[in-house]
Amino acid sequence: MASGIALRDVSRTFVSRGQTTEALRSVSLDCAPGSFTALIGPSGCGKSTILRLCLGLDTANAGTVTVDDLPPAEATRKGITGVAFQDAALLPWRTVEKNIALPLDVLGLSLGDYRERIAELIALVGLNGFEKALPAELSGGMRQRVAIARSLVTTPRVLFLDEPFGALDQILRKQMNIELQRIWMETQATTLLVTHGIDEAVFLADRVVVMASRPGRISRIIEIDLPRPRDPALFNQEHFHALERQVSEALDGH
Amino acid sequence: MGISHWPGWARALLNLALVLLVWEVVGQFQLVASGALPPPSAVLLRLVADWYDYPEHIAATLYGAGVGFLIGNLVAVAAGVLFALYPITSRVARGLNVAIFALPPIAISPILVLTLSDMAPRIVLAALGCYFVTMTATVVGLTQADARAVDVVRAYGGRKWAALRFVQWRSALPTILSGLRIAAPNAVLGSILAEFGGGGRWGLGVYLLGSLGRAEPDRLWGIGLVATGIAALAYFAFAALAGAINRGSQAVTVPSAVLSAGDKPRPAWQQALIIASSVALPFALWWVLLAVLRVPSMIAKTPPGLFEYLFLLPSAPIAQGKLLAALAQTLPMTLIGMVLGLALAFALALSSQIWPAIVRAFMPVALVTQTMPLVALTPLLVLMLGRGPAVILWITISVTFFPAFVTMAQGLLQVPRAALEVPKAYGAGIYKQLRLVSVPASLPYLFAATRLTVPRALLGVMIAEWLATGTGLGNLLNQSRGYMDYGMIWAVAVVSVLISVLFYQIVVVVERRTLGRLGMASAE
Repeated sequence: MASGIALRDVSRTFVSRGQTTEALRSVSLDCAPGSFTALIGPSGCGKSTILRLCLGLDTANAGTVTVDDLPPAEATRKGITGVAFQDAALLPWRTVEKNIALPLDVLGLSLGDYRERIAELIALVGLNGFEKALPAELSGGMRQRVAIARSLVTTPRVLFLDEPFGALDQILRKQMNIELQRIWMETQATTLLVTHGIDEAVFLADRVVVMASRPGRISRIIEIDLPRPRDPALFNQEHFHALERQVSEALDGH
Repeated sequence: MGISHWPGWARALLNLALVLLVWEVVGQFQLVASGALPPPSAVLLRLVADWYDYPEHIAATLYGAGVGFLIGNLVAVAAGVLFALYPITSRVARGLNVAIFALPPIAISPILVLTLSDMAPRIVLAALGCYFVTMTATVVGLTQADARAVDVVRAYGGRKWAALRFVQWRSALPTILSGLRIAAPNAVLGSILAEFGGGGRWGLGVYLLGSLGRAEPDRLWGIGLVATGIAALAYFAFAALAGAINRGSQAVTVPSAVLSAGDKPRPAWQQALIIASSVALPFALWWVLLAVLRVPSMIAKTPPGLFEYLFLLPSAPIAQGKLLAALAQTLPMTLIGMVLGLALAFALALSSQIWPAIVRAFMPVALVTQTMPLVALTPLLVLMLGRGPAVILWITISVTFFPAFVTMAQGLLQVPRAALEVPKAYGAGIYKQLRLVSVPASLPYLFAATRLTVPRALLGVMIAEWLATGTGLGNLLNQSRGYMDYGMIWAVAVVSVLISVLFYQIVVVVERRTLGRLGMASAE
């Protein structure tokens, strides 16, 4: 059985100027295939470190990390994963289309086979007509949508999102959340979302993983039992607020 | 309506016109050194009259500078990529890089003429002039690429080379191009200095040197203008290219230190090994190159050969005496000239905080000097200032002043207005503001400027000594060429490179201590 994302007793410490920081202390986490998990916690709790470990951008001091039963480096090289970061991290000299195609270039895939896919993705994130635009000509929200489209171009089985809407205003962010849910339901990718927003986590995730810092660890896992598709009216429901309160209390250490 | 409302280029043109006018008047009435500064009209007329001579001289210099520019920059970019991708290599090569940056080209020009033939000395010196600037620009450009974009590439399993290919090289391109912009005048300068060192019938340097003895100021000025024109053309061509590729702004000066990578601390023995190989590398390369070129050992001194010449042979004490006497003449001049040049530049840059308009008007002039192969124009100064010790000081001050001023003035422009306004808000006068904010804020740029000017000052002094005063290391080098005293040629070359590297290292150490204590980062 495929495992989605699995962390087993993962520890990561950083040493700088003689000081040791425990970014993660024996963290274990399983994300079932097709599930949506949100990681939430105070700054420095190691949530981004988990994501970097899963992407092979960093290596653990102890424990194992697997993505679709493969070591991260292998999974990423096979094109199983997709990623979007907080800042869009677009290449300023590439057009929207070419930015979306960057993972294909890195993976050595033929662009010709993906023309339709890229057009679909541009439509999906609502950027029709901006195919040839440069990032400098786009608004912040549009750039972020390009980054989302880029993360989906390889049709990843596992998707990593590191505060992808962190830099957007509240209104835009809600819109993007609704779009992201739609995209996720279409693709059924195992998704790990790192976020600061409690509402965002509850709205999108099957499970909210609450983390604590010093040392970075998982303090509580809250199941979100809201039915899908979830719609914006949910933001005003009592049950939604109750779940938000649970997460909030877990963050405060209760 | 005030001139201050005119666009920048219009004010620059006005300034240029004013300078030309004053020059014309001064020249017409022979106000400077009884005619050593001819009016621009006379220079132009002479240029037209001599035009028949120029094509072959220009072609020869262009050939040396062009081929050197190509080779030097190719090597520099390749080295920069290597250093950026594998920081350990940059630490091993540090000794070599600093030596190449600090070596006074005039000192090794006779050696190159002895060991190589035809155009090779010019090509090598032009290439050396390009190497450090472009290499540093490449390293800085590659390492300052957007880390997040690099992460995206790595998150898809891309390694160093993929990151280089898809992100880093393109984002480094503007920085590399602005490096090439500075490298272009350096290549022209290198070629001309090699021509001073002898060999060949053609070249602007040959022409300049040949005309120096004949006391024809208008011709000398013409040659100087043509050399500057070539360098300026190359400078602006690359500036335009960089502008087209990146509509952003670039610094005019180029960082003069290799970035050190912040990787994990290594055990002491590894550190020691790296430093030792860094020091040994330039000497090893010197040895290997001589072996590869198969230069007769009479002419080409290897490191042990030079040691023998300076310490073991019966003539060693005489050689030592000559060398020390020359050093005693050259070093004080270098230090005084450098300190004066830097002090002037510092004072003028600081005064930009008090009288911004004056400096804004002067800045274009200073920027233009960045495109001049300034040191190559020494014969002009010799003509105007005669052959006394004063000429040494003037040359040294002028070759250190301009680059130092540009570095510091541009650095001071980066001091945030808010920082200046905090003391002002508490009623501090302009001098208190300078003392509290501007002076400390400009320290990193003062150090950067000092590092930049150390080799130039020594180069300026040596050229002046060679061409004009007949004293010091420059003269010893020139004399030894005449006597075919090969040991002494090598000794002067090696000693002047070592002195330059030593000065540079002292500045680096003082800089690290001072800025470290103040919690400031060194300016690149």
